[in-house]
Amino acid sequence: MTKVKICGLKEEQHVQAASRADAIGFVFAPSKRQVTIEQAAELAKHVPIDAEKIGVFVNATLKEIEETVAGVPLTMVQLHGDESDELVRAIRVPVIQAFSIRTKEDVVKLKQSLADYVLVDAPGTDYRGGSGNVFDWSLLEGADIDPARLIVAGGLNPGNVHAAIEQTTPYMVDVSSGVETDNRKDTVKIQEFIKSVKGDFVEETMEKVGFFGKYGGQFVPETLMKAVKELEDAYNEVKEDPEFHKEYHHYLSEYVGREQPLTYAQRMTEAYGGPKIYLKREDLNHTGAHKVNNAIGQALLAMRMGKRKIVAETGAGQHGVATATICALFDLDCVIFMGEEDIKRQQLNVFRMKLLGARVESVTKGSATLKDAVNEALRYWVANVEDTHYLIGSALGPHPFPTMVRDFQSVIGEETKRQILAKEGRLPDAILACIGGGSNAIGMFYPFIQDKEVELIGVEAAGQGVDTAKHAATLTKGTDGVLHGALMKLLQDDAGQVQEAHSISAGLDYPGIGPEHAHLADTGRVEYRSITDDEALAAVISMSRLEGIIPALESAHAIAEAEKQAKQMTADQILVICVSGRGDKDMATYAEKLEGLA
Amino acid sequence: MNRLEQLKSSGKKAFVAYVMAGDGGLDRLKEQVQYLQSAGVTAIEIGIPFSDPVADGPTIEAAGNRALNQGVTLQKVLEELQSWTFDIKIPLLVMTYLNPVLRFGVERFTTECKKAGISGVIIPDLPYEHKQLVHPYLDKENIKLIQLVTLTTTDIRLDEILREAEGFVYAVTIKGITGSRDELSHDVKTFMQKIRKKSPVPVYAGFGISKSSHVDMLRDDVDGFIVGSAIVEAFNAGKIEEIEPLIRAVTTA
Repeated sequence: MTKVKICGLKEEQHVQAASRADAIGFVFAPSKRQVTIEQAAELAKHVPIDAEKIGVFVNATLKEIEETVAGVPLTMVQLHGDESDELVRAIRVPVIQAFSIRTKEDVVKLKQSLADYVLVDAPGTDYRGGSGNVFDWSLLEGADIDPARLIVAGGLNPGNVHAAIEQTTPYMVDVSSGVETDNRKDTVKIQEFIKSVKGDFVEETMEKVGFFGKYGGQFVPETLMKAVKELEDAYNEVKEDPEFHKEYHHYLSEYVGREQPLTYAQRMTEAYGGPKIYLKREDLNHTGAHKVNNAIGQALLAMRMGKRKIVAETGAGQHGVATATICALFDLDCVIFMGEEDIKRQQLNVFRMKLLGARVESVTKGSATLKDAVNEALRYWVANVEDTHYLIGSALGPHPFPTMVRDFQSVIGEETKRQILAKEGRLPDAILACIGGGSNAIGMFYPFIQDKEVELIGVEAAGQGVDTAKHAATLTKGTDGVLHGALMKLLQDDAGQVQEAHSISAGLDYPGIGPEHAHLADTGRVEYRSITDDEALAAVISMSRLEGIIPALESAHAIAEAEKQAKQMTADQILVICVSGRGDKDMATYAEKLEGLA
Repeated sequence: MNRLEQLKSSGKKAFVAYVMAGDGGLDRLKEQVQYLQSAGVTAIEIGIPFSDPVADGPTIEAAGNRALNQGVTLQKVLEELQSWTFDIKIPLLVMTYLNPVLRFGVERFTTECKKAGISGVIIPDLPYEHKQLVHPYLDKENIKLIQLVTLTTTDIRLDEILREAEGFVYAVTIKGITGSRDELSHDVKTFMQKIRKKSPVPVYAGFGISKSSHVDMLRDDVDGFIVGSAIVEAFNAGKIEEIEPLIRAVTTA
């Protein structure tokens, strides 16, 4: 995990506020944050024993540096001037050399540094709405700098540090002015910054054993335990592996076509008469929806584990198509289980899967929809576990699936965050995403979880209405239960039998909801609402005609809720909608349900 | 004393029969149990129907659906068992997925099981790692939580599971779901020998046992057999007497 350095500390209370940081920086060069050796030595007494104490110098002599290192004492030295290679070599503690990055040439200079670590800092580009300067992180892309020696600084703050980490995957992030108020360090901002890098302490611990609050776990038949544990280990390994991330992002950009735009929806904004509305365009992904982000990640992981056979379930067919596509790309054997009912609703996607070389197995049991397809895929996995990976399509199932799927989908929220900061210089006021199992929503929400000022709203399918028997509003109407490997919220009867879900949208037709969503609902961090079939269809028409974008039925639920949400917001606010997929696959349903449309 | 502990001391090969409670109507359960007891089975697993039985093959799933269509619930099954007045000499076990138990309430489930004379509980989707959810309650009532081990259970987990095993160990003979099979794979024999060497409690082989050839193959390596789908099928077809040779193949000889 990326380390945190809090720099330019002058007061004991701020050193204490930074107790979870990995490094503390003392500035000895002339600056408003300058401290003497004596002051630093006093402050250093309050630094945890395992944290680095780093001295910052500008063109100091070796003698001055050595006296300071001994006097505080310091564990590392950071150089910000035009220090020679000889000086870098002569310093006995590890050295960080800082570079200002304006151009690609600066990046080359940085790569030649003899220092143990290189710190990249921003020159004077103005950062709208921020407190410092940010450099163009994309300059580092393709520069082939070893992330293990990279320290990123320059205009970081609690709101943008997560995006910086995602883009540069550095060894450490360095912050100074970003945790200040009126030129003085701010205890709250220091803690927020550390938290946004390291996450909430408690949440971290839970994730280790696969629980989100009380939800999650590994409730699977014994035959699958080995596979689930192996997957857990393999995923933990690649999570920290920059090579894996490079490969994953390579396919996202070169094959899927990321990053996807955050489109300003001008006519929707005008029509709804409230906040500025932006659309996150997952519909533009290759294969037509967000599902492919996860399919690539898991397929790469499966191959690392030596598994070349893939089994998957699909509801709307989007995950099935994404999986079949990736299996074609990587030459993997592919079996897709799909409910008979869904096969009827999504014939085009069934043919796409077959065309891509996948075997599509029709599931006739139960409600013959997504839940039953998951059952059959699990049974198939039980029987073929040694050489087969189960590529779950949503943030569901036994640990590590919910965490893994979330991480692979987080690219949605990470891009959105970066894009909205670039366009508006601030975070949005509200974000909406539709929820079946919850993968596009958790991918969109996760990077914003720590940004308490951003309202997060998940939209479930109310089918014919939450007070009828035909809906899929799991969080509105569900209760705690175990299904498909995890404790989550379920639509179930009093005897613990899982009930059938109903939605016009095959992708939302699932009686459970991912364990992390269940937890986020309990804690109140995310609000969950629901939209009926009719409201979703109306939103399909409205979005098609206002923006020229025909959304998937699933996404239309978020769009329908956006119209309601916009009414409670003002013109100076910003609303982001995740358009999780495009409507091509739903054209037969649209043609039937909207017959006579003028 | 828990009846499962008596089993161990008898030294005979065990035949554990599985029935799906409520398949054909809950009123049939009593006669099915009486029949199996008189046919000489060693213990009976009472299966609780569940909407999403991912560890089960088509036979038991279909039986579960028939039972669910009759409105059978965990509560009704336990009430039925509690109403019985005939003499049950053999151990009864409940086999259920976790969700009906959670919905019913774990503590209530264990006390009702106790009242119904249940000796053991099998929960196929409750792995060793999560057994704390249920085990302390069962333990209080001296009801055994039967653990499953499979061909894919790693040696480290196998040792952990066996160290705390109670009642008997349910050793799964196949990589797959329940249901009748023609052949068992040959590594099963070595697997059973390994478990039996380490296990402090009897080792019973289950999943896919439907023929006397299966029994012959594993007889020397296990303490007993669990037969499910073949019995469920026979009851459903009204030909339960056809199962008797298999019972004899296990318990005599």
